[in-house]
Amino acid sequence: MTYSVESVTKFYRQGHARVRALNGINLKFAPGEHVALLGHSGAGKSTLFRLLNATIRPSGGAVLFEGCDVGGMSGAEVRGMRRRIGTIYQQHNLVPSLTALENTLCGGLGRWSLAHTIRGIFRPHKSDMEKALNALESVGLADKRQARADELSGGQQQRVAIARALMQDPEVILADEPVASLDPGLADEIISLLTRLAAGSRRTLVISLHTVGIALERFPRAVSLRLGSVEFDGPSSEVHGERLRNLYAGGNLVSEQPTHGSGSHNNFKRIS
Amino acid sequence: MGVVPTTTSSASVSSSAPSQRSLTLRKSLTALGFAVVMAICWRAAEVHPVELFSADTAAGLWKFLSGLFPPDLSASFLRTVLKATGQTLATAVAATILSIVMGLPLGILASATLWRRGILVEGARRGPGFFILSGLSSLTRALLGFIRAVPDILWAILFVTMVGLGSLAGTLALAVAYSGLVGRVYSDVFDTTDPRPLEALQSTGASRLQVFMRGVWPQALPNLIGYTLYSFECCVRAASVLGLVGAGGIGYEIGISMRLFEYGQGLTLILAFIGLLVLIDVASRRLRALSNRGAAKPRVGRRSQLRWILLTLAVVAGAGASFYFSGFTPEVFEENNVLKHATHFIGGMFPLEMGLGFISKLSGLLLQTFAIAFLGTLIGVCFGSVIALPATASLIFLEPDSTGHHGIAERSLRWLGFWVARLILNLLRAIPELLWVLVCILAIGIGPFAGTIAIGLHTAGALGKLYAEAMEEVPRRPIEALYAVGARPLQVFFRGIWPQAKPILRNYTLLRWESNLRVSTILGLVGGGGLGQAIYNNIQLGFYDRVATMILLIYALVVASDWFGHRLRASDMKNYMTLPPA
Repeated sequence: MTYSVESVTKFYRQGHARVRALNGINLKFAPGEHVALLGHSGAGKSTLFRLLNATIRPSGGAVLFEGCDVGGMSGAEVRGMRRRIGTIYQQHNLVPSLTALENTLCGGLGRWSLAHTIRGIFRPHKSDMEKALNALESVGLADKRQARADELSGGQQQRVAIARALMQDPEVILADEPVASLDPGLADEIISLLTRLAAGSRRTLVISLHTVGIALERFPRAVSLRLGSVEFDGPSSEVHGERLRNLYAGGNLVSEQPTHGSGSHNNFKRIS
Repeated sequence: MGVVPTTTSSASVSSSAPSQRSLTLRKSLTALGFAVVMAICWRAAEVHPVELFSADTAAGLWKFLSGLFPPDLSASFLRTVLKATGQTLATAVAATILSIVMGLPLGILASATLWRRGILVEGARRGPGFFILSGLSSLTRALLGFIRAVPDILWAILFVTMVGLGSLAGTLALAVAYSGLVGRVYSDVFDTTDPRPLEALQSTGASRLQVFMRGVWPQALPNLIGYTLYSFECCVRAASVLGLVGAGGIGYEIGISMRLFEYGQGLTLILAFIGLLVLIDVASRRLRALSNRGAAKPRVGRRSQLRWILLTLAVVAGAGASFYFSGFTPEVFEENNVLKHATHFIGGMFPLEMGLGFISKLSGLLLQTFAIAFLGTLIGVCFGSVIALPATASLIFLEPDSTGHHGIAERSLRWLGFWVARLILNLLRAIPELLWVLVCILAIGIGPFAGTIAIGLHTAGALGKLYAEAMEEVPRRPIEALYAVGARPLQVFFRGIWPQAKPILRNYTLLRWESNLRVSTILGLVGGGGLGQAIYNNIQLGFYDRVATMILLIYALVVASDWFGHRLRASDMKNYMTLPPA
């Protein structure tokens, strides 16, 4: 299974202005590869993830999933593709008024028929239930299965989101800053959980991170985005010296003050 | 409005002078326009203040008031009252259930988040499927808007014509009218759910309907329950009134007793109506509390399962009984006349009557309708604000530690004034406009003037209560400070309360004006003038194509007034926002 992005461009409309979020980027992910995506907020990471799971459509270029252009797929085909891609977001992954178990069960939606879904709301199928409980078990939340999602802490919610992705049993896991709203100890835990689970079944893992240190240490390949373009793409071991400094400086990752002119609010290039 | 600079530097004085002048000009122009509108409305609504003070009016009123007492409490009549009340309740329950059954699918289809825009449709291919669905969704939304814009009592008279007198017509009418309301509100609730969990669900490969069931619905449910209860309360109120045009229930009995000059029976019925409203209010408050508690903790265990089953049985039995008593009896459906009548009626509506003579007659009626709403609102504002003053607690009662200023006599006088004012406001408000029309007709006869006074009375109650509450809720600090420097209540009002409450009062008044415009279109169904009168006459004469044209006209009127009201209130809020912080 290969996954690639070919000269993809994305514009957003903001009032009368067109804002360029991605500027013709090319990326290729090999099966089973673990990739860390770096870049400060507004660099286009979230846009890239949304393009990858076909939540939005590129303004130019193409996203290829197993060689198929995602843009040309029918609704059913897109759903079939999404089923094989698990996405974890920074926050608000879960439906707040459902329990942890119910949220985990939602990972199966892509495989279920409408009738199966309706039945599952009242009495989930035995095999679904087993799978969901296993998934919750492997993220260490089996005892919280009856708790409502909005009663869980941020870290627990993130773990339920991972459990839902496991329930989905995808070939690719996309994680869009999954730890940005957690404290450092917890963040480390979640990242190791993700890498362990991905490595176990040779899943592709693409994760965007704020913490450069962890990214370079844990992930063999690093991609850094800057103002909608790929700034660096290569082995993490090659990131040192000038490159590392650039990463830190441009990303505004460690220092609190922006080190040069482009503050975090001025990330988009405005064109007309 | 314009802020007059208080600085005394010569530059600012000279620059403020022209703006001052243009302000005065604008004010006098507004006043002139107001006077012209007023004069036109005065003529259009056939206002004859003299009539109010004639001997005939006084005699009619006296006959009515003295007839009210004692209320008829004989056993046989109480049985009628009980039956009518039960029928009203059954109608409301059945209509609410039907309106949910019809409104929910329409609401889902009308939701923008699901079919038209936002993160769930962003990635969809712009193929024919997408355009058909989004077009259908927009169309459904427009349909809901139309159903909602036609007043429920108008639906009632249409259904009475189609299926005959009785509560079945009322039930169907309310079911249709409220399905528009329910559908619109449900779709709005769906559209305000947090889209981020929805995006996450979609990314698992879930289809749109699956996202709805597992993402939108659980998030929306508490709001849906709350709104449905509110809609049920409104439905009970409406079900009581619909009978005035022959759709069964309390209203029907009230109409009969008024026509028979049995005012004592009328009073009993009105008391039953108020009792029913209080009962529903208490019940829905308890249900609300229950649903809040139910949401807070998950239900588990065998015992609660048994209770769940019992509750379901009770609900099903209650619903079945409601349908039976609200007119869904087997006999009704055996008569195939119903369908024949209905098709004849609907068929008769097309093509719409668009003759020039008819249209020009309509414009006169439209003006009259507008005039009734305008003058009625004006009367309501005047009376409402006069009664609201003594009904405002913060004006009447001083702080506990400063009550020493007043002797026992003055304190009890104030107390009495406060409660009498509150009572009057509640009475004016509790009785719907259509009932007021019936009372006014007794005193001054059929016509737009009766409608105007009726709207004025109801509006006085509704607005007076809102005014009083709004004035009580303004920040207390400045008021206490004014009392502390020895200001009198009226001074406190002008300097402490009025400036703070003004924007809110204006907003309430504008909202009421919009609702009055709606009501004034249908007052004529019971003799209050305006478009409604013509609708009633044309239905009696069987000119259904004219009726259809007038319904469209009402729709246009409501849409236009909504649009204007929205703009006016929006610009009002903008002014409010630019006020310097108090």
